[in-house]
Amino acid sequence: MTQPFPFLLLPHLWSSRNRARRRQKGDLLRAGMFGGVGMAVCGALFAGAYWLTTKLAVYEEFGDYLLRLGLSWLFLTFLAFLAFSGVVTALSTFFLSDDLRLLMGAPVSAGRLFMARFTRTVGQASWMVIIFMAPILLAVGIASCAPIVFYFTAVLAVVPFVVIPVAIGAAMTLLLVNVLPARRARDLLMLASLMFAAAIVLTLRFIQPERLMRVENLPDITDFFATLQSPITPLLPSFWAGEVLFAGLQGAGDLLHGAALWTTALAFTVVLAAADRRWHFAGYSRSQEAPKARVTSLRLVDWLAHALPLSTVRRQLLVKDVKVFLRDVSQWLQLLPLFALVLLYLYNFSALDLERIPYMSGVIKNVYALVNLGMAGFVVATVAVRFVFPAVSAEGAAFWLVRTSPISMRDFLWSKFWTGLVPMVLFVEALTIAANEFMGVDPFLKVVASVAVVFMTFAMVGLAVGLGARYPRFGADPNEVAGSYGGVAFMILAVLYIIVMIVLLGWPSAMWLFSRVRNIRLSALREAMMAASFLLAIVLSIGTWLVAMRSGVRALDEMNR
Amino acid sequence: MIALERLVKRYGAFTAVDDVSLDVKPGEIHGFLGPNGAGKTTTLRMIAGLLQPTSGRIVVNGHDLATEPEAAKVSLGFIPDRPFIYEKLTAGEFLRFHGGLYGIDGTGITGRVHEMLDLFELRRWENELIESFSHGMKQRLVMSAAFLHRPRAIAVDEPMVGLDPRGARLIKDVFRRMSEHGVAIFMSTHTLEVAQEMCHRISIIQKGKIIAAGTVDEVRRMAGDGGDQLTAVFLKLTGGSSLQEIDEFV
Repeated sequence: MTQPFPFLLLPHLWSSRNRARRRQKGDLLRAGMFGGVGMAVCGALFAGAYWLTTKLAVYEEFGDYLLRLGLSWLFLTFLAFLAFSGVVTALSTFFLSDDLRLLMGAPVSAGRLFMARFTRTVGQASWMVIIFMAPILLAVGIASCAPIVFYFTAVLAVVPFVVIPVAIGAAMTLLLVNVLPARRARDLLMLASLMFAAAIVLTLRFIQPERLMRVENLPDITDFFATLQSPITPLLPSFWAGEVLFAGLQGAGDLLHGAALWTTALAFTVVLAAADRRWHFAGYSRSQEAPKARVTSLRLVDWLAHALPLSTVRRQLLVKDVKVFLRDVSQWLQLLPLFALVLLYLYNFSALDLERIPYMSGVIKNVYALVNLGMAGFVVATVAVRFVFPAVSAEGAAFWLVRTSPISMRDFLWSKFWTGLVPMVLFVEALTIAANEFMGVDPFLKVVASVAVVFMTFAMVGLAVGLGARYPRFGADPNEVAGSYGGVAFMILAVLYIIVMIVLLGWPSAMWLFSRVRNIRLSALREAMMAASFLLAIVLSIGTWLVAMRSGVRALDEMNR
Repeated sequence: MIALERLVKRYGAFTAVDDVSLDVKPGEIHGFLGPNGAGKTTTLRMIAGLLQPTSGRIVVNGHDLATEPEAAKVSLGFIPDRPFIYEKLTAGEFLRFHGGLYGIDGTGITGRVHEMLDLFELRRWENELIESFSHGMKQRLVMSAAFLHRPRAIAVDEPMVGLDPRGARLIKDVFRRMSEHGVAIFMSTHTLEVAQEMCHRISIIQKGKIIAAGTVDEVRRMAGDGGDQLTAVFLKLTGGSSLQEIDEFV
């Protein structure tokens, strides 16, 4: 008796149930933290969407027009994300997932396997979009006093809307895995990431939202909306979904666009299933041909390592870490979306014309210098939790090699620290200087920020390395390590540290700027307190760095006992 | 029961399996020997339906794997060298799911799962998560899964790796009993003593080609070696470092 395809999804459900029943140390903390952050984001989205919808409602027909445009744009943004996510997820679910070794060897028909994998791909690729979309649509519905049918319409529109781009993404993966030489699947991921990052930057560059801030450009606002509207053609599912929902808001039904959504989703699924039946096994077989993967020798790394004044042991540890990192494309390409966001961040600074806001521009600029410092801190924390914290765990099953060789754990851990620190300092320092330069921040704050960011990087990289050694998860995937108890603890401590640093640096900086703008002479006591505040920031940074490293070394030494 | 006809697998310019043909009869334990990288695992993965052959044909229990993959796989149990197991499932859940993949329905599955857990001495751990199992226990669990659906043929890659003597003895006994019941067993192994002790016939593969096949005695005669040990025959056929070479390096 052949079981229907949802049977193939059971192990994942059972695994989740077992994980929930047998909680490990830190699971509740992690769930609480991620849940809390998620709820806060959803709450903010709800509040923002509610506020915007009520404001638009004031303008009646023009407001309706903007709301309609906004819905289409919302779906268009998610459409691009879902297609990209579909490519990446399908690569994993259809070709690289470990459980395929079990399922492909079992007498499971190609159709059943396809349906199970496609369901999983749609779920994995779209859950985040649905979580973000739900509060927005809920807020739009409540703010517009929409009838109950709107919410049913929303569900009926969103389901086929997510299936269509994910099916396109999965079809692209199927095609590329069959066309590209074997084991280029990871290169494909890199290509997709680059395309996605470039698409985000280009789209925003194309729209130039900063034009709205220029009063003399008011007549251009019509052009601005024309630009917004241009990619929205009646041929895109995002347009159909936007129209269906807009009709739902008015209490009407848009059967034409609803039918377009459902028939397209079903047609894409059927075509993809047929293509999968024809080409999946060939693609899966090719994707396993790992022994023939291309290897780059990375001689430059050897050359650079030899040029550095390092002991043989440290040099070899450095060469090994850098080569392992660079050869694992799936590792470093996770940095690309972050780089894209940083690029956008810098672009926004260069595009904002704050001189248009008289009196306030100076204050805003200098407040932004501190916001920028906080942002740089969060970038360090995010990169550190993903790449530096798992550094010890990444030794995995090969850690015996380090433990049995004549290297002290101190040397080993400090090597990890410097390997993580140098690229991070260079990157964050460049980011801070560039952002402050674009903003035209006061020279005093420029110096404070560029010095502070170095101390902050030392502290947070040290904290990540130290805690990573204290809570290692050998053999686990780096993503899992970052989300483990130690990883979450690191993030909490890093965020607290950043907040304290901003306060310790912000208060004396603000005092100094205030006294200069108002031409007020500061008392000796106040100056001493300001100096103490800066000093405290330095002591806190050095303390965090050294205490965490020492604790990490001790943990590794105790492991040997 | 398992027939390979002119099987070829190429990775680009490299030929991993080169024109391999063999036939494993019902009830036969067939040893598949060869040095590392000779093409044993690639051949077994093709038989299991995990790799697509470049050319050639695989027939399991009369079903061509290319044209009737499901019918062929129903007759086969595959025990890989690096098996995938859902670590967050219990042993019982894993076997029930595995049974479902092979169409064993709800009423019959529980009894069969208990039989297999008893046979492989895992009954005590039925409700424990697999992630807490030792390597040997995981190996025995995979074997339980492979035999769960009463396959007519078994393809097994390095069955004795990581097993303690008691576990190894158990596996040998199970294989012998299965073979007596007409199950064809195609087994790749490095443990030549195991091959000598258990296999009715052996094939030796080197650089993707079968260089010798037959009973242990026949292969010994082919190599022109009158000794008792298969190891000497294996080294003579596949080559190996001489003592003089080793001395030079040491």
